Amino acid sequence: MKPRFKCFLFAFSTLLLSGSCQKTITSKTGNIKLTFRNMVNTSPMILDTVTYSNPFGETYTITKFKYYISNIGIGLSGGTTPGIEKESYHLVDQELPGSLSFSFEEAEDSFITLRFLIGVDSARNMSGAQTGALDPLYDMFWTWNSGYVMAKMEGTSPQSNQAGKKIEYHIGGFSGANNVLREISLAFPAGKPGVIKQGQTSEITVEADFNKWWQTPNDIKIADLPVCTTPGILAKKVADNYSKMFTVTDVVNN
Amino acid sequence: MKLKILISLIFTITGTVLIFDACKKREEVTTGPAGYHPTYLKFIIPAGWPQPPTDIFKDNPLTEEGFQLGRKLFYDGRLSKDGNFPCASCHQQFAAFATFDHQFSHGFDNSFTFRNAPALFNLAWMKEMHWDGGINHLEVQPLAPITNVKEMAETISNVLKKLDLDSSYIRMFTAAFGDPIINSQRMLKALAQFMGSIQSHNSKYDQVKRGEAGFTLAEQNGYNTFKAKCNACHTEPLFTDNSLRNNGLTLDPFLQDKGRMLITGNPADSLKFKVPSLRNLEYSFPYMHDGRRFSLSQVIEHYRSGITVNQPTLDPLLKNRISMTNQEKVDLVEFLRALTDNTLLHDPGLEQPQ
Repeated sequence: MKPRFKCFLFAFSTLLLSGSCQKTITSKTGNIKLTFRNMVNTSPMILDTVTYSNPFGETYTITKFKYYISNIGIGLSGGTTPGIEKESYHLVDQELPGSLSFSFEEAEDSFITLRFLIGVDSARNMSGAQTGALDPLYDMFWTWNSGYVMAKMEGTSPQSNQAGKKIEYHIGGFSGANNVLREISLAFPAGKPGVIKQGQTSEITVEADFNKWWQTPNDIKIADLPVCTTPGILAKKVADNYSKMFTVTDVVNN
Repeated sequence: MKLKILISLIFTITGTVLIFDACKKREEVTTGPAGYHPTYLKFIIPAGWPQPPTDIFKDNPLTEEGFQLGRKLFYDGRLSKDGNFPCASCHQQFAAFATFDHQFSHGFDNSFTFRNAPALFNLAWMKEMHWDGGINHLEVQPLAPITNVKEMAETISNVLKKLDLDSSYIRMFTAAFGDPIINSQRMLKALAQFMGSIQSHNSKYDQVKRGEAGFTLAEQNGYNTFKAKCNACHTEPLFTDNSLRNNGLTLDPFLQDKGRMLITGNPADSLKFKVPSLRNLEYSFPYMHDGRRFSLSQVIEHYRSGITVNQPTLDPLLKNRISMTNQEKVDLVEFLRALTDNTLLHDPGLEQPQ
């Protein structure tokens, strides 16, 4: 008798609970808009037609440049728990202007740092078929060694010893010693906090300087290392370099 | 007393109805538009078997509609560039979903594949796919053969374009997922439902274990030998521990296939390959990752006398090779044939759909 009664109670409380789930959150939110401006040194990146020089005097063009930004959070000025964007996965692709900026909602507050992963967190590398920005359609998923290419650059260089003078850096690897995931934390320019307010958008501009891929802390010379297409030591070196390519250059609240 | 029982019965029934009703309502809210009522299927773990390491259907509820969609996709040549190479061209049911009698399978533009096509069954227990364990989830497995230039040689976006043109697919995706959107995630989840449902647990060995049949004397002797000398890697009841090991084959000078090391880059993983299941090997020959052994006798002979023992990554269990008398070898082959599962080989539910 008793267990059965419990069962009945359980069913009843389940019904009550499913009713109480309908409540909506009433705290006020505003928008954050992130815009990524891909650069080479101080000039906006132009694909295919412009020849650039790396710190070693090697020249190159860029034909493809894309990277994942995920798990975006903001650091609040009061030092409280940073907000995390829900389902936070974005593929920034220089070829697709629409991919360079995106918006999301946060609760009202002001914040002074921006945090994100460059790449896709390891959980999503191991959870089967994904969709949205993580759709394997975008040619950022390794089919033979499961996992996402976190950042990709392709181009040409006279210094390359490869067919067609090709250079190609597909940087990936999410587990153990081969992990290239890098968490980025960016401080805002002094005196320019982001302010999240209902009916307003806080627009943050992040510049990404591709020329940082070649140096500091690791020298990557095209003549020696024109290709990286597997997880491993070289991929980690490039990731260490590119983790320093981002700067917040502007914050506008309106 | 009778009244008590009656009351408790009424409570139980009411409670059950309420629970059922609550669940049903929740599904209607959370799983799709009105009119979406897929038939949920239960994935059966045979009695006495271990739990799969992860629940591959956790984010991909197994339904009749999803399974049937996956089955159609598995047999559909449109997943390949020229239409000639469905998944089933290399994974044939009568060969336990391996390629019958082929060292390497045939792919697009007169290509040979790089390795022997593995048999497909009991995949729910397999944490990593491919001979080198490079694929970490069943759902993303099909991306490898579909896009490999020596296999199906197609792009995912082209496959989706072809599926979009077929009204039967629009109907089947709707039935499986609640709306007509055809995308890579749904295609891969449906394929995983089909592949993950291919199970092998009705060989003579299984029937003996369930008390429905008896081994012959030779089979029983072979089973004893198996338990003493093979079971450490080819662990019952899956007949594999799904680990990656170097079993002492020499490096093929043409293929230069170093197995697991291709994935990890670690020299300690050189020449390590997945331990395959021994189930259905009567039909999944030839054997080894590159199909270099055509008979069971050759395979056993490899372990008796052929292992290259001076390889640094050789599995420690094999450093002294495996001693076996000729009689033990003959009986072992008899036992291995008792791992053939005719239910799997002839299940009409896994055949090419009409």
